[in-house]
Amino acid sequence: MTREPARKPAAYRLADDEPAEAKTTAMTKERKRPPSSHKVAIVSEAEDQFLNEDPEPIDADAVDSLTPEPAKTPERRWSFRKIALSAFGLLFSLALALWIDNLIRALFERAEWLGWVATGLTAIGLFSLAIIALREALAIARLNSVHRLRQEAEAARDDPRHSKARAVLKGLINTFDKRPETARSRERLKELDDDIIDAPHLMELAESELLGPIDREARAMILAASKRVSIVTAISPRALVDVGYVLFESIRLIRTLAYLYGARPGTLGLLRLSRDVVGHLAVTGSIAVGDSLVQQVVGHGVASRLSARLGEGVINGLLTARIGIAAMDLCRPMRFHAVKRPGIGDFLADLTRQAAGSRSSTDKQS
Amino acid sequence: MASMLSRFTDEAQISFDNIVDRAGTMMRPTVRLGVTGLSRAGKTVFITALVHNLLHGGRLPMFKAYRSGRISSARLEPQPDDAVPRFQYEDHAEALIKERIWPQSTRAISEMRLTINYESASGWNRLFSAGKLSVDIVDYPGEWLLDLPLLEQDYRTFSENAVRLAASPARADLAEAWISRSRAIDVKQAADETLARELSELFAQYLKACKSDERALSTLPPGRLLMPGDLEGSPALTFAPLPDLPVGSAPAGSLWHMMEHRYEAYKRIVVRPFFRDHFARLDRQILLIDALQAMNAGPEAVQDLERALTDILACFRHGSSNILTSLFTRRIDRLLVGATKADHLHHESHDRLQNIAGRLVDRALARTQGARVTTEVLALAAVRATREANVKEAGEDLPLIVGTPLAGEKIASETFDGNTKTGIFPGDLPEDPESFFQALESKDDSERPHINFVRFRPPKLETTAEGLTLSLPHIRLDRALEFLLGDLLA
Repeated sequence: MTREPARKPAAYRLADDEPAEAKTTAMTKERKRPPSSHKVAIVSEAEDQFLNEDPEPIDADAVDSLTPEPAKTPERRWSFRKIALSAFGLLFSLALALWIDNLIRALFERAEWLGWVATGLTAIGLFSLAIIALREALAIARLNSVHRLRQEAEAARDDPRHSKARAVLKGLINTFDKRPETARSRERLKELDDDIIDAPHLMELAESELLGPIDREARAMILAASKRVSIVTAISPRALVDVGYVLFESIRLIRTLAYLYGARPGTLGLLRLSRDVVGHLAVTGSIAVGDSLVQQVVGHGVASRLSARLGEGVINGLLTARIGIAAMDLCRPMRFHAVKRPGIGDFLADLTRQAAGSRSSTDKQS
Repeated sequence: MASMLSRFTDEAQISFDNIVDRAGTMMRPTVRLGVTGLSRAGKTVFITALVHNLLHGGRLPMFKAYRSGRISSARLEPQPDDAVPRFQYEDHAEALIKERIWPQSTRAISEMRLTINYESASGWNRLFSAGKLSVDIVDYPGEWLLDLPLLEQDYRTFSENAVRLAASPARADLAEAWISRSRAIDVKQAADETLARELSELFAQYLKACKSDERALSTLPPGRLLMPGDLEGSPALTFAPLPDLPVGSAPAGSLWHMMEHRYEAYKRIVVRPFFRDHFARLDRQILLIDALQAMNAGPEAVQDLERALTDILACFRHGSSNILTSLFTRRIDRLLVGATKADHLHHESHDRLQNIAGRLVDRALARTQGARVTTEVLALAAVRATREANVKEAGEDLPLIVGTPLAGEKIASETFDGNTKTGIFPGDLPEDPESFFQALESKDDSERPHINFVRFRPPKLETTAEGLTLSLPHIRLDRALEFLLGDLLA
């Protein structure tokens, strides 16, 4: 490791009050490189100890074993499957183009005006398709930018220079520009522009100030969705309705969460996001936890007190909450550090209370 | 025997005071915050800035109780001790903000109590706590802190230490007058008041010369010779160490005997009450270190600073106490080491400054290892006098700090008049504090880091459109507060 050249002390006259306009006057630019036998620099991790005093709270509670691992956006890589799909896709497009070309030619032969109409329709169709593609591409780019912001925020934490953290902060403020409920937090963070705050603390501050209120909203949304799922699946007559409703509710939840965190994913983006969520849950723990684990954890407490159907409903609600938590991980522009990541335990109490409430009301009716 | 007895009565009195304190604390929680630091370390400024920010709603984002809005108000209250003057917060704040001058060096002890009204974050605590926390803070001349290590030394040790230090290369020329004069006399000759005063004055002059900016040395006991306070001219302050004391005890009526007697009196009348009343019963401590001034002055100053800090820290009672013992003894369970004047550096170098400050107290903290005390090192500036900027220099960004240097400060060949805003690059601090200390020890000048810190005037505060003055800017004062008081306001 080479030693940084020592820079000499110097004074600069300022043209006016604006520090950025500093002008150079007398500056000797002699530099010296002292001998480079040099120990590895001591990186000041010490200041972080305060921060890390409570690392991610690991709740040993059995319920929280249901909480999914923090999800990460998977790396996009080329695979043969993708190459094959793209190749066949292109081929299919060519076939389509050929068919349209033939069609238009045939129409021209029949009557000229028919040919022109077909050409016009094709043009309109292509134009709209282009716009759709553009919008989808923009949406995907937004999704990617959230992902990038999350990575940059992680990197900025470890950087002693503040400029990276400042850039991330700016990006965050821009992301939430359209959310009026963050106005005060944004203003407060902007006020700190000139202050000296260490990068990890700045990131912590941004997380709790800016994302805190949004996290609360997200939590409420997840809870509401899981409640709906648990009710509907408890009273629905058919399994097919259950599956359909859970699917519908999950997609909706993922979409609203993405909107909440400023991603606005679009159709393709939503598809990709849902695939990531499901993929993550499938990898880290079977998505159909249904039988063994849940029965073990929830079973004793809930199933004995509730009817089997209501218990099943609670379990379906919990699965929705798992999807919500994983989606939160993927849409949130920062990882959870200062704010506690919601766990299944947070939702369980609310869900069982609701289930117990609905049982007692049905008891009264009967 | 006498000293044993006085020590015993001291302990008894400290315990008694503690019990009285604890009884009062039941009704009203109080924390004694020890702001320690040698002279010029910035104790007065730190206290003033702390109070000003809490009273006037400063920006303290990392002080969690404050950020989350749980602190409803803070105010100054009458202090508990009637015999000690009040800390003149208003005067200091006005001088800082209106006249833009730093407070004069503190000449006497003063005290104040800051009461914070807050609501605990946990409902359980809200039920049981009074929702009030009083913080007692004492301000005093930093020189007096140098006396604390004397409590453990008798006159012979004190004299030997003083003579040995005086022989070191950094001091030899300054101590010349005092050493040669004291070597010329016979320590067993009859006591003579005039001679005693002459020696004492020569010794005091030598100490003061050591303290000047060029030398900036720190280990200079006894502190009252530098800053006499109200005891100026009293016999307890008219003494000096004597070189080459012969074996045996002092013959009665000799100069040696008189000096020894006065030294003991100094410890008994001056040092011990000061320690007992203000330092024996602290809960939290912040040690302010002005490492920059010492680095400006050179390697000897840095080593001397380390020595002084190690001696002083050994005098405090660190460690956490349990419920039973806490009735009788108070221990410092949190110690913050603050490298002050961090605003004299660009923030890129703050972690380096922190490392150097940490290295300075390394030896002192090693002793507290067994005691359960939480320590943290922070580069901070209670009042931030500068802003930051960049300048393009030879195609590279050079980080600058921008402020108004004090009149008479120098960098390279330039002397400042105290009114011009200037961008300063004070030089690079070394990445590795160990290499820095090695470089300091080496005799070769080219090895030494080239640094030159300039002192700045207090910042000009902007006023809002409504004419309100904004709070004093700072660097990491909020983190210091969080560390020192955060858990008490949880």
